[in-house]
Amino acid sequence: MSKYNSFLENKVMPIASKMAGQRHLLALRDGIILTMPLIIIGSLFLILGFIPIPGYNEFMASIFGDAWMTKLLYPVGATYDIMALIATFGIAYRLAEQYKVDPLSAGAVAVSAFLIATPYFTMFTPEGTEIAVQVGGVIPVTLMGSKGLFVGILIALFSTEIYRKIIQKNIVIKMPEGVPPSVSKSFVALIPAVIVISSVWLIRIGIENLYHLNFLGKLGFTNTTSLHDIITLLLSEPLGILSGSLIGAIIYTLLVHLLWVCGLHGSSILGGVMTPILLTATDQNRLALQAGEELPNIVTSPFFELVFMGGSGVSIVFVVMMVLFAKSEQSKQLGKIAIAPSIFNINEPVVFGAPVVMNPLLMIPFILTPVVLTVTTYIMMKSGFIPLTNGTLPPWTTPPIISGFLATGSWKGSLMQIINLVIAFAIYLPFFKMWDKQNTAMEKGTENINVTKAI
Amino acid sequence: MNILLCCAAGMSTSLLVTKMEAYAKATGMKAKIWAVGASDVNNHIDNADVLLLGPQVRYMLPNMKKVGAEKGIPVDSINPVHYGMCNGQEVVKFAQNLIGS
Repeated sequence: MSKYNSFLENKVMPIASKMAGQRHLLALRDGIILTMPLIIIGSLFLILGFIPIPGYNEFMASIFGDAWMTKLLYPVGATYDIMALIATFGIAYRLAEQYKVDPLSAGAVAVSAFLIATPYFTMFTPEGTEIAVQVGGVIPVTLMGSKGLFVGILIALFSTEIYRKIIQKNIVIKMPEGVPPSVSKSFVALIPAVIVISSVWLIRIGIENLYHLNFLGKLGFTNTTSLHDIITLLLSEPLGILSGSLIGAIIYTLLVHLLWVCGLHGSSILGGVMTPILLTATDQNRLALQAGEELPNIVTSPFFELVFMGGSGVSIVFVVMMVLFAKSEQSKQLGKIAIAPSIFNINEPVVFGAPVVMNPLLMIPFILTPVVLTVTTYIMMKSGFIPLTNGTLPPWTTPPIISGFLATGSWKGSLMQIINLVIAFAIYLPFFKMWDKQNTAMEKGTENINVTKAI
Repeated sequence: MNILLCCAAGMSTSLLVTKMEAYAKATGMKAKIWAVGASDVNNHIDNADVLLLGPQVRYMLPNMKKVGAEKGIPVDSINPVHYGMCNGQEVVKFAQNLIGS
């Protein structure tokens, strides 16, 4: 055990702390969080639009008119559909904060840089025709949402890096003394901002010229006219395929839980890498739902809400056992402390109180259960028994069974969670019994000691 | 005495906050105790006399210690068992010791 502990302290901790402390990943994770409240609010309207009751559509149309859905989903267009824009600002802000340069200016410059990389036109198919025409003078909404997320992330990091380097090298316009500080502050941002914006501008001009010279076409990139096209092709699609597979989902689940049994916040550490990927997949489903098309992705952010019930490790079943069956005092007491938070998917009391951390016995079901449930949920969705998650993002503190309904927009989502809970129960039970027995034995041992002392 | 706690989102530490407050109140101690997410620490640290990290984010300890050193306040991570059992008494005492040392 001590060998194992020292392996953890000397090998795992430094890697985890390096990854979690890595500036850009940290900025990415903390910046993208800015979009979450908006998306959750958007979800609220999305849920209202797709309530799974027969005759609901007709009922709503009879009250609010035929365009009720379009009108109801206005907030979705201003939340989900601008996630890349908001994330760009948030990530640049958080990164600038770490470098101790003015975060507001850095955020504004990054948003501007992001829009430079974005062509101001969209494709539109007029009614009664088959051929799409290019319409200019618009900011394309599709690229402001999940489709532009990776470009937004890269530009936020790129632009803030340039921005802070120039400020730190002190290449700024200095105002004479007596000029109010806020005025001189606005000038400080000027030179770095010009350089950031010119760089992205040159990149765009470069790509467009390469396209016109058919250079990109020769490399196999026939339809790439902008940075957005290139990033989608090189980054978003391969990452999506990797994470969207069953193997990808299992690896993610394993890593999260291996970190947790070391006592480290797994999903938080992996968040910087996984959040944009899962968020993109989630939003692709949302877009398909709104367009009335088949949902494309099984593995999304809310997919894991169906799996990680009561927090990581599906520990809620373990806590329920403590409340219902515990014989030892310690188990009973922990059950009392842990049950309420567990319902809202907060399980640190179990992880550290039982403890699961570094506990060779409890580690097994804690890692095994979520992996098994990832597989069952994936298979059930793949085979069509359970509908896919529809892009709604319930807050992560939503209790199990309710979250399954919200995430899939169907009672079958709740059913899947109930099935999963039963499986989890079966896996945990023998381990719970052994653990409770150990605790009881330990308590008896200490009682005996107390008795002898008293005598 | 102002005790700032932090974890990933400030949620599970807030459980502990209520227990710590109860202990502080019972012993007649004047203490402000609150929990925030790790990304929010910079906005709160100026009002704190001590910063305690949840054990699940103790990988942030080196970074947070640097921040604490700049402000001249002690930073440490909470004992996992006290954290898990929401032992407010022990954690308040731990905070007192840190401030005292």
